[in-house]
Amino acid sequence: MKLGNKRWFAVFVGPTFIAFCIAFLVPFIMGLYLSFCEFRTVSDAQFVGLKNYISAFSENSDFLNSLWFTIRFAIASVISVNAIAFLLALLLTRGIRGTNLFRTVFFMPNLIGGIVLGYIWQLIINGILYNYGYSITSRATFGYWGLVVLMSWQMIGYMMIIYIAGVQNIPTAILEAARVDGAGAIRTLFSITIPSVMPSITICLFLTITNSFKLFDQNLALTAGAPLKQTQMLALDIYNTFYGRIGYEGVGQAKAVVFFVLVALVAVLQLYFTRSREVEN
Amino acid sequence: MLKKIFSFILCVSLILSLMLVTGCGDKSSAEVYFLNFKPESADVYQEIAQKYQEETGVSVKVVTAAANTYEQTLKSEIAKRGAPTIFQVNGPIGYQSWKKYCLNIENSDFAKLLSDDTLAIRDESGNGIYAVPYVVEGYGIIYNDAIMKKYFALSDKKVNIDSAEQITNFATLKAVVEDMTAKKDQLGIKGVFASTSLSSGEDWRWQTHLLNVPLYYEFASSEDFSDPTLAGLNAKEIAFRYSKNYQNLFDLYINNSITEKGLLGSKSTSDSMAEFAQGQVAMVQNGNWAWSQIKDVKGNTVAESDIKFLPLYTGAEGEENQGLCIGTENYFAINKNVSEEQQQKSLDFLYWLFSSDTGKDYVTNKLGFVTPFSSFSEQELPSDPLAREVVRYMNDNTKNTVPWIFTSFPSDVFKTEVGGSLLEYVQGNREWKDVETTVKSMWKSERK
Amino acid sequence: MKKIKISNIFIFTFLLGLSVVFLIPIITVVSNSFKDRFSISQSPFVLPNSDTFVGVENYIKGIDDTGFISAFFWSLFITVTSVVIIVIFTAMTAWYITRVKTRLNNFLYYLFVFSMIVPFQMVMFTMSKIANTLRLDNPLGLIFIYLGFGAGLSVFIFSGFVKSIPISLEEAAIIDGCNVFSTFWLVVFPMLKPTAITVAILNTMWVWNDYLLPYLVIGSDYKTIPIAVQYLKGGYGSIDMGAMMAMLVLSIVPVVVFYLTCQKYIIKGVAAGAVKG
Repeated sequence: MKLGNKRWFAVFVGPTFIAFCIAFLVPFIMGLYLSFCEFRTVSDAQFVGLKNYISAFSENSDFLNSLWFTIRFAIASVISVNAIAFLLALLLTRGIRGTNLFRTVFFMPNLIGGIVLGYIWQLIINGILYNYGYSITSRATFGYWGLVVLMSWQMIGYMMIIYIAGVQNIPTAILEAARVDGAGAIRTLFSITIPSVMPSITICLFLTITNSFKLFDQNLALTAGAPLKQTQMLALDIYNTFYGRIGYEGVGQAKAVVFFVLVALVAVLQLYFTRSREVEN
Repeated sequence: MLKKIFSFILCVSLILSLMLVTGCGDKSSAEVYFLNFKPESADVYQEIAQKYQEETGVSVKVVTAAANTYEQTLKSEIAKRGAPTIFQVNGPIGYQSWKKYCLNIENSDFAKLLSDDTLAIRDESGNGIYAVPYVVEGYGIIYNDAIMKKYFALSDKKVNIDSAEQITNFATLKAVVEDMTAKKDQLGIKGVFASTSLSSGEDWRWQTHLLNVPLYYEFASSEDFSDPTLAGLNAKEIAFRYSKNYQNLFDLYINNSITEKGLLGSKSTSDSMAEFAQGQVAMVQNGNWAWSQIKDVKGNTVAESDIKFLPLYTGAEGEENQGLCIGTENYFAINKNVSEEQQQKSLDFLYWLFSSDTGKDYVTNKLGFVTPFSSFSEQELPSDPLAREVVRYMNDNTKNTVPWIFTSFPSDVFKTEVGGSLLEYVQGNREWKDVETTVKSMWKSERK
Repeated sequence: MKKIKISNIFIFTFLLGLSVVFLIPIITVVSNSFKDRFSISQSPFVLPNSDTFVGVENYIKGIDDTGFISAFFWSLFITVTSVVIIVIFTAMTAWYITRVKTRLNNFLYYLFVFSMIVPFQMVMFTMSKIANTLRLDNPLGLIFIYLGFGAGLSVFIFSGFVKSIPISLEEAAIIDGCNVFSTFWLVVFPMLKPTAITVAILNTMWVWNDYLLPYLVIGSDYKTIPIAVQYLKGGYGSIDMGAMMAMLVLSIVPVVVFYLTCQKYIIKGVAAGAVKG
């Protein structure tokens, strides 16, 4: 094909690539550079070396606290989202009456935006805690579990759909054979179903982990970090460092770089480990 | 089909590239852009902007930052093309942060409106005028005199005074409040004080306004400075000697509140004002700006003539003569980095607002401002009960006004941290001494 | 047979219960949106009664305060246009860089994939600064930004699909004298349609609900729905819980309508989008 000539490259790749450069590539590279600078606006940047990275960790414990909070949140929500979603997928592939309706209901919260979700759950959680004389900011644990519940409510439907697709792809012949061989339900689950849906598990883990780490809107709307920043996740901490006060832009950017490396690392490691367990088909 | 797709893509690419080159989708370039600090006045400012455009043809854009996000909003806005032309600094500390952007407006007609130009913010060597205060406000404990009268009429009251005006120190206040709590069913109230709102962004009445009083007493006794605000500005560290007094009044609020302690973290200022307006409580700490939040509440039962102020008594020595906390944290500054034409138009707008009859009518009757400008006559004062009370206290020579020394607090971060520790104290997760430590250590670390 | 039936009834009941749990938050918000603002936060699970029912007052006040109508149309405009543009341009890009195997194209592919895992906070400051300098801080410019920021995922999904379609059809078309452009639109794109729907749906869900990006880029001049909702907290001097509830309901309604009408595509799209990963 004569595809390779420059004119077609400009037509097909040009627009996307220009937009990509402006919205992502250039800001990304500038962001990397600025994390080593002191700046208010972009034009007045002055190189300061690793100073920002040092103050990100040493000036106060906000960053480490929110890192720890984010990790704890990610673990709890990854487990709860995936366990429940997988269970629902198994239950909804048995041809039970109302399957479609249930699927519709479970998926619906996923389409609601993070800000709106945050306020919905603030109402619900405060409403429940009110009876005991508490509110969501009374204890950091309330905010923590509030976020986990919110995240589960939002993500379960999405992951369920992916698991359903995975389970439906298992050839019935294999399941049939297992039944003939007298394998019990548990045995079938662990020897056949789970290995067969490994690709779905990979993608679901990837999506839940990255989404848990990047969570911002829900955090902002539900607790905004209260009490005393104890429920502040990484993304919110970075935002507050950046825009909360003058003179901390560089530190905010340095935190963002650390955040990026962390998310990338976790994502790559996770993909590597689960991919290696997938059965080739 | 193909042609359609092709022409569509062509159009889109054209539009996008045009935008890149010429900036055709440029924002409606308003000539004056005012970044407003007071959310409660957002609607009025919109009206004013419209009116001004009708009168003069100059377009004014008003953007209001959400409560407690002014610094954030200003920071992202001011770095932009089409930055705010009029913005607000909250006193000398605010000026220090934003001085790169503050124009010297000493020779403007607007700055000359000031009846006392020592109120303006000047640079370190005392030259120029970089920010002009535009409203004088007062705060204290707002009380509903109807309920107070009912209490003082009780035969089994435990105090020997007969009216709220006779409360002149913390001990009396405490006795009255605690006795009222004991008799709240008789009085038909659910609590003496409205909710001590501590949800995020709603805690400024305590971490800024209430904290003003103990720190005022500390700075007022400074040996190096006669002006407490200056003492505050120069304090690298604080001893927080009046911590106990801070706790006195704060504890009184939360122990005699309409709301259980655990729930205060979900309450907002407007909740408190509504509780007061509906007659569920007798007292609430706030300032005269809160009038609209009392007036506009549905089911308002409190009569205008019953709304009065008490000073914030904390048990400090000599507080019998203490008046309300009166001052300003609202200063207008003009952005140095916008075009000269925009600067002039912004100044013209402000001059119009505070000197023309139409402008002054808005200021007095809709914004409810008591201003520091000579263009306002004695008669041109807001008619709402709270503003009248503030003026009454100001003119009362037997009362010593507590100035707003919180303009010398080191940063917004300081205030936020103090607010957070108060919330944790209320919820029982921290002790008072932790609040004390936070106040001292945050002051030190934020002042550097 | 009977045994299976019993377990099915048990499962059915369980799922029914869970569905109710899933729906309660939404129902609660709807019911509170008709209540007087002061009787919301203390007793959200109590249905409106004659004392607390205020009709559509909250809706009127909320719409009035937040400028919801204009926020709705901005959200709609930005979402629809961005999605159409993302689908068209990333499909072209994905097809081209998958088919033309040069080192540059390969590099571009990995660059796009790489962008997917970068958190927004990494670029939020520099990107909004650039958008401002290039005068992209308006709804049209925002669409352009969305094309750039959404390119990663969309190119990735399209590429995955392009790899699986046989090249012979395209070659035949070229031999028949079609130029590259018409080959793509007449031969390739029709085959990409299911994937295009997937991409469209994933992007719709993202753009419609996005908060921080539009807030930073156009937030001071234009409000989308999430910005308007967040601004309700503190933007007007006080939080009006009634108006808040009404606005939450109004932001959910379009989503639910969209979902119920396109449910088939959405569910398929989500599943397909994941499989390509």
